[in-house]
Amino acid sequence: MDSSIPVSASADLTVVAASAKAGRRARRARWLTAGGVGFILLLVLMAVTAPWLAPHDPTRQSLRARLVAPTLDAADGRAHLMGTDHLGRDVLSRMMYGSRVSLLVGFSAVLVGGLVGSALGILAGFRGGWVDTAIMTVADAQLAFPFILLAIGIIAVLGPSFVTIVVVISLAGWVGYARILRSQVLGLRSREFVDAVHALGGSVLRIVWRHLVPNILSSIVVVATLELGRAIVLEATLSFLGLGIQPPTPSWGGMVQEGREYLDSAWWISTCPGLVLMAATIVVSRTGDWLRDLLDPTLRGE
Amino acid sequence: MTVSRRDLLKGAALAGAAAALPGGLVGPAAAQTTQKRELVVAQGGDISSLDPHMSTSSNDIRISFNIFDNLTSRRPDGKLVPALATEWKLQGQQAWAFKLRQGVKWHNGDPLTSADVKFSVDRTYDPAAKTRVSTVLTTIERIETPDATTVVIHTKKPDPLLPARLGFYAGQIVPKKYLESVGPDAFNQKPIGTGPVRFVSWTKDDRVVLDANGDYWGGKPDFDRLIIRALPEMAPRVGALLKGEVDIATQLPPDQGERVKSNPGTIVSGALYGGLYVLAVNSKVKPLDNPLVKQALSIAIDRDVIIKELWRGRGIVPSGPIAKGDNHFDASLPALAYNPKEARELLKKAGYKNEEIVIETTAAYMAGDKPMAEAIQAMWKDAGVNAKVEVFEYSVRAQKNRDKSFKGLWWSDPTSTLRDPDGMMWRLLGPGGPQDYWRHAEWDELGNAARFSVDEKFRGEAYKKMTKIFLEHLPWIPVIQPYEDNGLQKYVEWNPDPLQQLEIRRFNFKFRRA
Amino acid sequence: MRTFLRFFASRAGRAIVALWLVSTVVFVVMRLSGDPTPLLLPPDAPQREILRLRAELGLDRPLPVQYAVFLGNLARGDFGQSIRFKGSAMAVVTERLPATFELGLVSFAVAVIVAIPAGLLAAVYRNRLIDHLAMGVALVGQAAPTFFIGILFILLISVKAGLLPTSGRGDWRHLVLPAVTLGLFAMASIARLTRSAMLEVLRADYIRTARAKGLAELLVVVKHTLRNAAIPIITITGLQFGGLLAGAVVTETVFAWPGIGRLAIQSIYNRDYPVVQCVVLLSAALFVVINLAIDAVYGLLDPRIRVR
Repeated sequence: MDSSIPVSASADLTVVAASAKAGRRARRARWLTAGGVGFILLLVLMAVTAPWLAPHDPTRQSLRARLVAPTLDAADGRAHLMGTDHLGRDVLSRMMYGSRVSLLVGFSAVLVGGLVGSALGILAGFRGGWVDTAIMTVADAQLAFPFILLAIGIIAVLGPSFVTIVVVISLAGWVGYARILRSQVLGLRSREFVDAVHALGGSVLRIVWRHLVPNILSSIVVVATLELGRAIVLEATLSFLGLGIQPPTPSWGGMVQEGREYLDSAWWISTCPGLVLMAATIVVSRTGDWLRDLLDPTLRGE
Repeated sequence: MTVSRRDLLKGAALAGAAAALPGGLVGPAAAQTTQKRELVVAQGGDISSLDPHMSTSSNDIRISFNIFDNLTSRRPDGKLVPALATEWKLQGQQAWAFKLRQGVKWHNGDPLTSADVKFSVDRTYDPAAKTRVSTVLTTIERIETPDATTVVIHTKKPDPLLPARLGFYAGQIVPKKYLESVGPDAFNQKPIGTGPVRFVSWTKDDRVVLDANGDYWGGKPDFDRLIIRALPEMAPRVGALLKGEVDIATQLPPDQGERVKSNPGTIVSGALYGGLYVLAVNSKVKPLDNPLVKQALSIAIDRDVIIKELWRGRGIVPSGPIAKGDNHFDASLPALAYNPKEARELLKKAGYKNEEIVIETTAAYMAGDKPMAEAIQAMWKDAGVNAKVEVFEYSVRAQKNRDKSFKGLWWSDPTSTLRDPDGMMWRLLGPGGPQDYWRHAEWDELGNAARFSVDEKFRGEAYKKMTKIFLEHLPWIPVIQPYEDNGLQKYVEWNPDPLQQLEIRRFNFKFRRA
Repeated sequence: MRTFLRFFASRAGRAIVALWLVSTVVFVVMRLSGDPTPLLLPPDAPQREILRLRAELGLDRPLPVQYAVFLGNLARGDFGQSIRFKGSAMAVVTERLPATFELGLVSFAVAVIVAIPAGLLAAVYRNRLIDHLAMGVALVGQAAPTFFIGILFILLISVKAGLLPTSGRGDWRHLVLPAVTLGLFAMASIARLTRSAMLEVLRADYIRTARAKGLAELLVVVKHTLRNAAIPIITITGLQFGGLLAGAVVTETVFAWPGIGRLAIQSIYNRDYPVVQCVVLLSAALFVVINLAIDAVYGLLDPRIRVR
């Protein structure tokens, strides 16, 4: 930022410096993304191995050891690294099992929402015309609807169950996929592009396979990662409102809700799962950002 | 004499110290006495209706029993005393004669007459009035008002409990002339009663404001204004108490008791609930149609640990379907036992084949509902029962209550409205009652006979027999008779009521003044 | 002008259809969720009472008829009578509207006042401490669950530090925590976008020219970059405001704030259809109108968009 240097020279230097910086940034982005993905894998690992790793049975109550602060030796003679809750259950074990709910619901919702959303987006892009308008208007309507109320309403109708919650959360996310895919397809449908491919001797199917799919994949991965973060938050919010997975299965949101009454005394009941939840969603979202920077910067400005 | 500067300063210091004396010594949060003339009460929900016949919820009762009076009144100590009626006696087997108090005025100045009493009582079961208390006074056949201060109530069969029935909800007396002239909707907006407070305003989801009735026949209450605030969330309700913003906070969960007690300005005061917290059973659903299974379920519950840990000791273990404090409560009956081994044996004897048994519970609608359900599920699992807990909202519960479509067991907190088994066990479990899932010929016969007998000895025997049958068949599994706690400022002198009435008349409420 | 009007008309048409879809969905979902009458009558009320009440509420007619009546009333702005409270659904909602407005406006104001300068500073002092700090907070704000942020605030600031009340509505002190909690997401989004928009613009040639000419850095930033970054910033600001109402539902629940978000949840549980329909449609209408306005502004400013 040295303004005494003549403009032309500074422009060259800036370009050189910029490309070097870009190189460093790209490397850093790759490292960070790898770190983020690694964290997600760790979460998955914790969820999968919870039955073996968790120190206690998450549903085992011990009414005599209620509301015990994090300790290595509680009234029942065992260690509770994150304390116990209002029924004497070990918070750490429940937190580990809670990750199973969050991740299972999250991945399922991303899968379902992704499939449905992508299909609709591709359909809208390819067919165009009123199909496109119809799908986009439905998307508009959904975005206008205060989503949490829709979720509560649907769960009130269908009753809280794993399937219902996945359906609801998928509903929350499909629009993202649809939009991205639609714009990708529209871009590829543009006459110049099709003409060019035809000129080079390709067919529609080859267009789809060799050009659409690779582009789509990276977009989908980015959107899916961001949606995973949002899905985890939404599941936790629904559990917090009492509409999530039913007791005694632990879920992070449900645990925060159960501990709410004890914020001033047994604060660890809400805080431990809540902090883990926050860390998980932050890392997942950030990884989505990094992936986007890495794979497809044109997705910015979302 | 001139006042030196030093004297002036000394005087100022003394004045300052005096201003800091009782009432403001350590700040409002730790005052032992007060000069307040306004009583602020925080309860766990907003009112839904000011018309006393249109709701039986505790959040409405706290107000309706103070705007209105009944003929008879149930005191916090359980005694039934004269209120708008100064005396009552049986005329023959099937009629009660009530003598009305002289000189009682409605809040708008009109005098109270027997016509008002007849109108009020008839209204409760008048289909055109669509009240929510239409089944309470159905033992009445007709009402006569020979003169302005006498009411004779004829019952269809001998009804020894009529005065008690008139002492609780449905028995509030409403003004005939005023109600008929303005209509029920306007009456619900601006009610007029004879009670110790008169209605001023209702701000939805916020508060009800009531002014003291200086002309009240029982004496003006010890305040000029009563404000009832709706604070459904527990944290702000307790917080308001601890900060001194409210004088009484009702519905205090046991886990908050320590906090309130250790706070310098507040104490906990509770009354043993005039009722029971039970797991009601849908005895039509397998395997709950088998009495042995129900006995096993009951004996597998460690009520002592639930009371000690989840209720911090604020409750007692019930011994049967009759609440402590009621007529004919048998103090010699042992508390319901805990014996997991016997539970297993009973299950084996019953031929239990691991069928799923479901507890459907709300979350935080009834005190301790979800935590107790989860605790009991764990206890049942230990006894070998395939137990599940399902959480539902109270609107679903209301629907299932109507359809009688509960999957297994659900929480109920029956109130002993008459402080008599007739008003709880019989009212709810009797044939055609709201919890009619189980019938037993002998039990039904006894209940009917006891309702209409004036012989207390006979009634006592009947209820003993019914209790025995009850304990064998367990249409309810009683879990706890809890203390319902309130948080009070130390300068409040007030006795809580087992039937949640918020009694603020002179004899029960006073600010402790310096 | 003609292309703009055509464009605007088509967007407005879509908006109306979207609103119709929203109203249909809320109608269907609420009707399917169950019967409100058991909540209004005592459990031992005879069946004929239930039937009478249902007839009174118009619930005994076939669903398509109810739907037609609903749409007809909607067109006249009539949301019907609240089932739980006495009075029109609109009246019940408008009673609580001020509380939500207060919360929404204040949180939005706080979000904008904090976010835009933060984003500007982060862009100008890129990769310095302030950038990392601001973006770190923004990251947390965008990703973290609102309900837990609220709980955390209550724990740390109300309970532990005793600085502010834990919940409810009262004086300005009650407003602080809920407003910050609600505004955090918007704050984060706006800050991040402001920063990236600024970065884009800061790189442009004419900026370098201006700097090379020796103009004061601040003047450059304020006069030239802000004007160009304005469009995306205004866009996202508008979008966040439209979505604020939806976010208020959770915040109002955590802080026991007596607004329409909490009313909506209670009304869903009470099966008070008219009130739920009223809240949902008001919220959707607000969102749609704001989006339409943004589209219109874009359409006016950038002719290329109108042709799509």
